[in-house]
Amino acid sequence: MSLLSRRRLLRTVGTGLSTAAVGGAAAVAAAPAAAAAPREAPADAVGMLYDATKCIGCKACVAECTKVNDLAPDTELSGGLWQMPADLNPQTKNVIKLYADEATGRTSFVKRQCMHCVDPACVSGCPFNALAKGPQGIVGWDGERCIGCRYCEVSCPFEIPKFEWKQFNPRIVKCELCRHVLARDGQPGCTRVCPTGAVVFGRRDLLLADAKARIATSPGVYHQDRVYGEKEAGGTQVLYLSHVPFEKLGLPTLSERAIPAGTRHGGVLVKFVAFPVVLYGVFLRFFRRNWKVHEAEVARVKAEQGLEEQL
Amino acid sequence: MARAKPLAHPHESVINRWQRGVAVYEAPVLTPWFVVFLAMFVAGTVIAAFRLLGGSLAPFAAMTDAYAWGVWKTFNVMALTALGSGALAVGLASWVLGRHHLHTVMRTALVTSFLFYATGLLGLLTDVGRPWNFWNMLLPWRWNTESALWEVAFAMPVYCAAFLLYENGPMVVERLWHARSDRVRGWVRTWHPRIRKTYPFVVAGAYVAPIIHQSSLGALMVLAGHKVHPLWQTDLLPLLYLVQALVCGFGAVIVVLMTSCLVWRRPLDVKVLGELADLMSWTTLAWLALRLGDVVVRGRLGDAFALDAFSLLFLAETAVIATPALLLRSPRLRAVPRALYASALLACLGGLAYRFIPTTLAYAPGKGSTYFPSVPELVITLGLVATVVGAFSLVVKRFAVLPAPLES
Repeated sequence: MSLLSRRRLLRTVGTGLSTAAVGGAAAVAAAPAAAAAPREAPADAVGMLYDATKCIGCKACVAECTKVNDLAPDTELSGGLWQMPADLNPQTKNVIKLYADEATGRTSFVKRQCMHCVDPACVSGCPFNALAKGPQGIVGWDGERCIGCRYCEVSCPFEIPKFEWKQFNPRIVKCELCRHVLARDGQPGCTRVCPTGAVVFGRRDLLLADAKARIATSPGVYHQDRVYGEKEAGGTQVLYLSHVPFEKLGLPTLSERAIPAGTRHGGVLVKFVAFPVVLYGVFLRFFRRNWKVHEAEVARVKAEQGLEEQL
Repeated sequence: MARAKPLAHPHESVINRWQRGVAVYEAPVLTPWFVVFLAMFVAGTVIAAFRLLGGSLAPFAAMTDAYAWGVWKTFNVMALTALGSGALAVGLASWVLGRHHLHTVMRTALVTSFLFYATGLLGLLTDVGRPWNFWNMLLPWRWNTESALWEVAFAMPVYCAAFLLYENGPMVVERLWHARSDRVRGWVRTWHPRIRKTYPFVVAGAYVAPIIHQSSLGALMVLAGHKVHPLWQTDLLPLLYLVQALVCGFGAVIVVLMTSCLVWRRPLDVKVLGELADLMSWTTLAWLALRLGDVVVRGRLGDAFALDAFSLLFLAETAVIATPALLLRSPRLRAVPRALYASALLACLGGLAYRFIPTTLAYAPGKGSTYFPSVPELVITLGLVATVVGAFSLVVKRFAVLPAPLES
């Protein structure tokens, strides 16, 4: 290796390292965002507590939800006679389903709607923040920002958001905790009409304390003596108590890690400034070195063969 | 870097058997195959137009709320842009790592990449339900920079419309020179030096952009969490998607070059092809180390050999990816065109499978729901693929893309 090329190599490495150092410094500066602690629910976060042992399956909440949210009742299963949604769908933000174990004869109703995650995957993935956590941690949808990519449907571990496949101006339909009437009614339609108190509305921390108190009062009644949603996927603002295993009610078994945590490799500074700048610096350094070889070659070919450069 | 050194001396020739891009002048544009591709393009375009102007997605797509992403996204965008990563892979090898022999195939890589990206973006446009809201891209305060999909929606069009067009620019400018109009030539005289002067600065950026968005494509499925089978679901998906893009990039360039040489009866340059295959093989081995290492570290080796449907799928996928990489370690086989072609083809198929499976076959959102693309979905998807092939055959007949020896 000649002296010249060694010097060039040193310079290359030197430039690369200094670019890396600048980028690294920026990365360290942005590190707090990178090593983000698990996100907490806001202090005033609201939610619901659903207690499957108290639900009688009257579906008053389903009817009221449709009314408050101005949706067309889904009457398909009943042949157009009455509202009878089989599951959540673009007309149904809230549904009551029945679980029945034929062997043991054990049954339970379950109410399904958006869980209003503390750190929602749908919000993390939504390109223009059409889905966003608003006041009190409610996950709401903004039609002006939604491009209809349906990433929320792909990312939601509870499979809650529904898309109006048949509409010309399709919306993402999901429970928004009746945020449009909260100021007037103080609570969503479903909790307001529930006759047995199976679903109640309130601040998340108070609901969680309530749920734990119920478990303490009647030990052994509730599945695993625990509250579903306290820790699942980083916590949800809607909490569940049940006498049957949660997975039987369609509530997936999830780890305590919030789903977006696996995608947060540094903040915006690391991802879109430090990392690209370092890469660019390194590439440019090598590129310019090889560009000189290329130019010499172009000159030689032109002299020998009379041919122009082709880039 | 050590391998590039012998060529780094300015007085040593880096010219190989394939020396320059030469248009396929002798072949007519309008061939029966071209008509077929054109018909597929028209069919796809007509259906896409009906879907976009007519409104709702429902009558056209078999997608459901459970399988909310169909082949337009999962195949045309997430899988096929891997084949469009030739510009990245060959560019890094030739311009950054100094494999100067590969310069002659850059144009082939650039045209291929542009076409795969452009059609992928058309697929994306057809897929989104509220495309009119794309104007939000103009309002930076509405960007969700945390979203991998925002990153894809932002960086892919920029890469395709700015970087890839710029990189394909010299080819077009050079063609304009032959228009023999003084006005055009004056324009070329102004612009060609400008492109040359800015070239290293812009093109270095052209390698940064795809590195970010190809890994973002992998990050997309990380957010799908437990819905993706644990053999595929890992926080390493971004890196695995990126490295697989490099593999497919090399593979696609080999396949495109060899197919072109076969179709238009051009001599091969086994040295260049062998070098591409060598790089592809090493990249694949690196990918396999990452992939298998990840499965082991996450303690999923048991799942891999459980011999259920997913385990068999995993083993088959790994075999299809590993076979060409191992075969191509043999320098003797790299010099056999038939072996090279078959291996590169297999590598592309394996890469496409790896990038497609987590979004569909190993994606199990709800029990009881299935997805198989509808006829209109398939017509559009295949129409976009036909567009790539047809447009490529058109471009190489009008522009100096495909490499040729000088004696002709």
